Amino acid sequence: MNRNLPLYLILPSLLLALFVISYPLYELINLSLSDVNRFGKVRGFIGLENFTYIFEDQLFIDAALRTVVWTVAVVGGTILFSVPIAVILNTEFYGRGIARTILMLPWAISLPMTAIVWRWSLNGEFGMLNATLMNVGLIDSPIVWLAQSATAFPVQIGLGILVSIPFTITIFLGGLSSIPIDLYEAAKMDGANLWQQFKRITYPLLRPFINMAIVLNVIYVFNSFPIIWVLTQGGPNNETDILVTYLYKQAFSFGHIGQASAVSIVMFTVLLIFTIFYARMVMKNEK
Amino acid sequence: MKYLSTSLKSLATGVSLAVLGTTLSLSVQAAEEVRFTVAYYSAKTGPYYEALAEKFEKSNPEIDIKIEVVNWDVLNQKLTTDISSDVNADMAIIGTRWLVDYVEQDVAEPLDGLISEEMKQRFVPAFLSPGTLNGKVYGLPVAASARAMYYNKDLMQKAGASVPTTWDQLVDSAAKISKIDKTYGFGLQGKEVETDVYFYYGMWSEGGSLLKKDGSSNLASSASVANAKRLQSMIENGLTQPGVTSYNREDVQNLFKQGRVGMMITAPFLVNQIKDEAPDLNYGIAPIPSGTSRATYGVTDSVVLFKNSKHKQAAVKFMDFMFTTEQRAVFSSGEGFLPVLKSVSELPEFAENDAVKTFVNLLPEARFAPTIAGWSEVADITSNAVQAIYGGADAQSTLDKAQKRVNRVLGK
Repeated sequence: MNRNLPLYLILPSLLLALFVISYPLYELINLSLSDVNRFGKVRGFIGLENFTYIFEDQLFIDAALRTVVWTVAVVGGTILFSVPIAVILNTEFYGRGIARTILMLPWAISLPMTAIVWRWSLNGEFGMLNATLMNVGLIDSPIVWLAQSATAFPVQIGLGILVSIPFTITIFLGGLSSIPIDLYEAAKMDGANLWQQFKRITYPLLRPFINMAIVLNVIYVFNSFPIIWVLTQGGPNNETDILVTYLYKQAFSFGHIGQASAVSIVMFTVLLIFTIFYARMVMKNEK
Repeated sequence: MKYLSTSLKSLATGVSLAVLGTTLSLSVQAAEEVRFTVAYYSAKTGPYYEALAEKFEKSNPEIDIKIEVVNWDVLNQKLTTDISSDVNADMAIIGTRWLVDYVEQDVAEPLDGLISEEMKQRFVPAFLSPGTLNGKVYGLPVAASARAMYYNKDLMQKAGASVPTTWDQLVDSAAKISKIDKTYGFGLQGKEVETDVYFYYGMWSEGGSLLKKDGSSNLASSASVANAKRLQSMIENGLTQPGVTSYNREDVQNLFKQGRVGMMITAPFLVNQIKDEAPDLNYGIAPIPSGTSRATYGVTDSVVLFKNSKHKQAAVKFMDFMFTTEQRAVFSSGEGFLPVLKSVSELPEFAENDAVKTFVNLLPEARFAPTIAGWSEVADITSNAVQAIYGGADAQSTLDKAQKRVNRVLGK
């Protein structure tokens, strides 16, 4: 058998994938190096001017730093919550099916829709969240959550975590079901308590799945647009802007297609570098 | 060889089918199709234009008008995308403040040679001028509004406050009304479209302006700072609704409709909304309070003809029909806008309507958004600075910083 046969077999889909990825990328690089008008007409090559423009823009720098906070907080929070939830859902208990369904439900609702519902819940005048907190007695007067970034951004992070959990749990449940039960039985025989079982068996065997969840979630969350856009549009005073909302405003509100393409290239590069480094690091550890 | 002949045969069939198709479509499409992108003002907009097109087609069977209704939020974006891929409609309604971008990029057709002098004379001059650039008419006003102060008569009476004519009196009245439980004296808009405009009212009253004589930003003028400090102290003293930066214009209007806000500044269309949604609300309309000068904000939307349209004559013919007294009267009263045609403003329905009169009387003082490329970005920078100030930031330094950013956009 020809050793290269497998390569030939995947060649068609490889070429298709390459084309689908590289053509837009080529166009994007082109736009980012050009003077482009609001209607997408290229007026000429201007080198790196679009890049210098965005790097001189304080709002871009702020948005970039905030994107890091946003990504780390949402992905970190998601993993932190998802591991124990997945472990619990993996044990046998009465009503586990219902519990799993309830936790998966948010996934079935589109992200903008979830965000719109939360915008109502967070309303300062008649929002459900304020009403609940006041009933419980945690606050005396309503808080207008989205009026200042100090409350708006944490709420957005919380919502980001909430909607990332179902996907992450799904990955973890898959991972947990691949761990043989006899390992736990043996550990119990040796007198290991639950925490020791988790630390010595569950966590190490779940590790590859956690890594996968981190990479995939970082990519999703870094690029995530609906939550922030629907709740605050990056406001007030650009204080909840992340790169993707900054990009959207540049492209569609101000008609700076060139600058927006430059932002897009920067985001792509950051994600690419992250993914490569992380994949390398993880692979090394696994060897 | 056999393969070749089959493919030739199929080619021949294909060609004849294509020819047949063309002739068929030619005979069906005898009418000239004019596509018109219309902005959504209310649920009445679509049906109004559909009926208008139908009436027009009856007397002009050779022209077929296709109406496409698009929401304001996405209108500019849709038009931009359509234009860049060359599939835009023949004519469209746009915000007049976008016109300068369209003219600069050479996508809007000047109308001077196409419309008659008589047609130009039909319009109220104040509303035609924003659509005129470099001496040429590019946009005909389809909707016009100014801003005035709405006030709740019951709340005023209950609080023993009077309708303010100056900003000092407004602060005073707001303080009195705010003492009533669960009501706020002055409704202040703090997010989304026109947040900057809500700030300009007070700035203009103090004698401020958007631009200096040399065309650079005048956002950090003493008038602007004074206005910023006044609004800031109103927020701090609880004379506005709490959390202003989470209220867009509709949110504040809703508070007003619920009778929870004493005063707010907005457009004439709130009259129609109140009529439908809060008919018992006892309110009045007064000019925007003055300081050292008086001012209001004037806004027009324009219908433009695109340069790449292949049906310009037919489109202009439709415009001619659209801007007749009878058709415009239906629109202005239905949507609650000010009449743009002189003849319509003389109709008793408008000439004897107190609300309309209040707004029309303000027009001589109305200021329009300057026709400058990139104005939407300037408005965004200003809105963000205003939000920072409403959130408690130092007025002078925030406005200084915003002025610098605006000047960068303006290239000054």
